Amino acid sequence: MEDRRDRFEAQVLPHLDAAYRFARWLSRSPADADDLVQEAVLRAFRGFDALRGSDVKAWLLTIVKNCHLTALKQQQRRGFVPLPEEHDVQDGHAMIATTPDPEGSSIRRDEARTLDQLMSALPEDQREVLVLREIEEMDYREIATVTNVPIGTVMSRLARARAALKTRWIKQIDGERHAVR
Amino acid sequence: MQCAESLRVQAYFDGELDALSAADIERHSGTCAECSALLDDIKQTRAALRHDLGYESTPPELRARIMRALDQEIEAKLPRLQRQRITGRRLRPFWQGAFSGIGGTAIAAGMAFFLLAPALTNPLLDDLVSAHVRSLMPDHLIDVVSTDKHTVKPWFAGHTDVSPVVADFDQQGYRLIGGRADYFDHQRAAVVVYQHGSHVINVFSWAATTGSVPKDTTRNGYHLAFWKTGDLVYCAVSDTAWDELLGLVRLLQDMSTRDAS
Repeated sequence: MEDRRDRFEAQVLPHLDAAYRFARWLSRSPADADDLVQEAVLRAFRGFDALRGSDVKAWLLTIVKNCHLTALKQQQRRGFVPLPEEHDVQDGHAMIATTPDPEGSSIRRDEARTLDQLMSALPEDQREVLVLREIEEMDYREIATVTNVPIGTVMSRLARARAALKTRWIKQIDGERHAVR
Repeated sequence: MQCAESLRVQAYFDGELDALSAADIERHSGTCAECSALLDDIKQTRAALRHDLGYESTPPELRARIMRALDQEIEAKLPRLQRQRITGRRLRPFWQGAFSGIGGTAIAAGMAFFLLAPALTNPLLDDLVSAHVRSLMPDHLIDVVSTDKHTVKPWFAGHTDVSPVVADFDQQGYRLIGGRADYFDHQRAAVVVYQHGSHVINVFSWAATTGSVPKDTTRNGYHLAFWKTGDLVYCAVSDTAWDELLGLVRLLQDMSTRDAS
């Protein structure tokens, strides 16, 4: 039993940060994200013996995604009404660097906050492929596994996400420039 | 109007095309203004996302919570008898096992615990993991913030008992971000802090008190790599992958060999 735990820690837990980041983008609140990651890690541990192959990260993130969907279904059954999208945009996800950065400047932090809000404003299916591709550096096949859609759909969602982010990013920056003047 | 090749241009950028198609797209984007602009755009988007949003790691409190949940999961799964034996072994002093039971079995169990205990609960390893986790709490990571080894190294001279090797390996992906003093094994130990991607790597160093160096191990999801240089013991702690942690260890070892010769 201890041995299984050791193997789990050595193989799966190096991807805990990726699972956490993914959960933060999927969840509505940091507390939801915490619960989601914990549930996913426990499920991963229970199913650890069934893990074949080396793609542990995609496997773990798939579990995160599935746990997220299960939680959503439960909320819907309990008649949970999701907050309007605008609320998410206002709050952002605050996925901003928390590690100390000697060169960090407030300008950079502002930029990060803007980008964070723009990301939050994307539709969930677009946001998740963008996060998996750009932050977690997964290839199309892995993203298709995690999101459970065909590769072609991954490609079109990714293209839409990138285009939307780019357009909004430019609009935002122009807006700020005008505001300063 | 969107160019019909735009999805293939994106796939090219993401490294998903074979060499032949890649060459095809390179030629195409050389002549198609729309696709060359698209390449620039997604390159910029990627740079901004990785620069601003990439660095987020699991909060130490959550990691600890998950570890406790795993502990409970394991204990709940065990048959009752075995569970009692394990929790008993953890909680009760060994001599209770040895003297409360009757006959050889109990004594053997007690002895087994006595022999196993140091391996199961090496306080040094726990100290290192705790120190690492503590360092990740807000405002605990760094006493001297600098990416310059000529600032970090002299700082240790005044604040710790040791003078470890300090170097910036930014080129190789391990950025020196500062230093910290810590206390364990009855010494003022030096900690050099590196950042590798989104991960913090703490490199602890203290004067060797015994000849042996602990074996590399993984505890609570953190990897600990040990080595010894001269009369200093080093331990690099992080939640990066093993390969990445050992990459830094090799760089530091090479650096010490060079300094010595």
